[in-house]
Amino acid sequence: MAKLWAIIKREYLERVRSKWFLIATFFGPIFFSAIIIVPAWLASRSKATTDVYNTIILDATDSGFGHRLAVAIAGDSTNASRMPTVRVVPPAELTKAESTATREVMRKEKTGYVVINQQTLAGESARYAGTNATSIADMAQIKNAIRETILASRLEQAGLDNRKMKEITFIPLDFSTERITERGRAGSGMASVLFGFAIGFLLYLSIVVYGQTIMSGVLEEKTTRVAEVVMSSVPTDTLLAGKVLGVGAVGLTQQILWIGTTYVLLKLRAPIMAKLGAPVMNFSLPDISLAAGILFLLFFLLGFIFYSSLYAAVGSSVNSESEARQAASPLMIMIVSTGVFIQPVLLNPTGTLAKVLSLVPISSPIIMPIRMAVTGVPPLELAGSLIFLAIGCLAALWLASRIYRVGLLMYGKRPTMKEMARWVSYAR
Amino acid sequence: MTEYAIDIVDVTKRFAEHTAVRDLTLRVPTGSVYGLLGPNGAGKTTTIRMILNIIAPDSGKIYIFGRPSNDPKITERLGYLPEERGLYRKMQVRRVLKFLAELKGVRGSEADRRIDEWLERLSLKTPEKDWGLAKIDELSRGMQQKVQFIGTLLHDPDLVILDEPFSGLDPINAQALKDTVVELKRRGKTVIFSTHLMDNAERLCDSVCIIARGEKVLDGIVTEVKEEQGQRNVALALEGNGAAGVATILRDHSMVKRADDQNRFFEIELAPGADPQALLKRIVDSGASVQRFEMIQPSLHQIFLQKVGATGVEEGMTGHG
Repeated sequence: MAKLWAIIKREYLERVRSKWFLIATFFGPIFFSAIIIVPAWLASRSKATTDVYNTIILDATDSGFGHRLAVAIAGDSTNASRMPTVRVVPPAELTKAESTATREVMRKEKTGYVVINQQTLAGESARYAGTNATSIADMAQIKNAIRETILASRLEQAGLDNRKMKEITFIPLDFSTERITERGRAGSGMASVLFGFAIGFLLYLSIVVYGQTIMSGVLEEKTTRVAEVVMSSVPTDTLLAGKVLGVGAVGLTQQILWIGTTYVLLKLRAPIMAKLGAPVMNFSLPDISLAAGILFLLFFLLGFIFYSSLYAAVGSSVNSESEARQAASPLMIMIVSTGVFIQPVLLNPTGTLAKVLSLVPISSPIIMPIRMAVTGVPPLELAGSLIFLAIGCLAALWLASRIYRVGLLMYGKRPTMKEMARWVSYAR
Repeated sequence: MTEYAIDIVDVTKRFAEHTAVRDLTLRVPTGSVYGLLGPNGAGKTTTIRMILNIIAPDSGKIYIFGRPSNDPKITERLGYLPEERGLYRKMQVRRVLKFLAELKGVRGSEADRRIDEWLERLSLKTPEKDWGLAKIDELSRGMQQKVQFIGTLLHDPDLVILDEPFSGLDPINAQALKDTVVELKRRGKTVIFSTHLMDNAERLCDSVCIIARGEKVLDGIVTEVKEEQGQRNVALALEGNGAAGVATILRDHSMVKRADDQNRFFEIELAPGADPQALLKRIVDSGASVQRFEMIQPSLHQIFLQKVGATGVEEGMTGHG
């Protein structure tokens, strides 16, 4: 037991002390937060920016339309800083005024200018030129302001007074959207799908990264022949168990740090979004019960044991990194093909595909936690998934320990599948 | 203390393609320096791995200090230096040593104390520089060998097993290793090492076992082994290059079974029934000027060649020994 502990301790401390671990642990939460914050920020780009306030209105109508348009663009008549500059120009001098405005835009003093004339009053046309001409949101804002102003002046001409007119045109419509799927209303579906995806991605990443970590660790011990010294002191099963547990603990440490800091960053999300000039959206992580948390942990540990013991077996059977990459490709295919199914399962977490994949040990450690995050999974299915996964783990460990103890002492050419099958049958 | 540090009884180990060790029986007396000699691929490393319980024999028994070799307590009394050496490259020297000590049941401050002692003894820790704080791959090859050697002896094992310990050692480290082997023996420890370098074995070993193709060829105390081979060898040195006639005489198989040119002298194994005096007379008669004509014990090297011969060398199936 003390020897197992010595091995776990070495595996854990040597990895946690490495620069790579520090870097990954530090950048992980930044990366995950970026995944969540950037889309929200991009979404906020669909709202008009402050650019529309820094424009010039060239009014050739001689009807005070320009001033009313400025108020409409600003959306608030009291805030002078948001009010575009209005220049009333005679129609004959419009071309000259446009040239002046163009130079101002080129000097970056202004974002652009709107030209309004008699055609505008007639509701036929208006022109805009500026650096933000490609911004759909900005253009929509200006266009709406022009329409609003035309409508207002027509209503005024029809004899409505100012107050009445405001009453009629004021429509503060709150347009909330909700998605309906074949299972009915999705509710706050987006958040739990995002969460499910994050869980799946995290498990997927950890298994790939730490599986390969174990593989190269085993390979290093083999090529440097440290393995022989260690094997003369402890049984190979203890060595294998120590490696899997030690590296698993590193993975768990990293995930706890990641989840912890990501949580804090998300708490600080509002101030960050405010700094970016984006409106704060209501976004709450789904509540996770303690039981669900423990189940996530269990799936991670079992899935990790399943894959990392197989990776260890691969590492012991080869002689170089390049051979290892080749030999590990069946494992990689198993993991990647599971990754491919993450999205279909997210879209239909109660379908047959999802149910089957969450029973097969190859995919269940990734798929089942995703399903748990997005939908309620019946306890019977959960139990079945765990039992199959546990059996899969035992089988993987049995197979791996047998390949491992022979492979570590075999040098020379890479073994064929047939030879490896024979190793499994060796007594020791 | 039991009489035998290692007692191997009728051990056989087969691999898929061949039998690595066949019906091997040998005993290593406690407190002796024991040489396991044999050509590459003879089964030395397989034997050592079985002694260390890294692999299990297919049949037969191995006892270490009277206990079965798979007794977990026994491993803490063994120290092992494998043939191909290496350590965790990215790990600090002290941490590697501490890890190896913990695997052998030496923990905490006791391990630290011994590590300091050894680092200082092998001048890896001096007032100017403490290599213990460096990483393994910052060390020179010679220093890495020292560290590995410390790892083998840190837990003060009663039985030290060295697989081809002299291969790749520079003369200074080789001398240090030899001194340590002698020192270990003086302290009552048992040392067993495999080698195909007969000169080292002859100088260091109390007893030897020669194996070839997985089978024991002979074993015993070095002096007895040599005596058993009889006084049938002659050292012959001639003045100058010697006469051409001498070469003819040495090829005469009624007198000479084998003549090995050692450069400064010939080591001659007499043919059965040949009279050394008659040989001397023929050489003198041929006109050569004899500098030395001496009955000697055969060297281990000669015994080895005689017993194993060229046919004893077989391609190793496990990659080494």
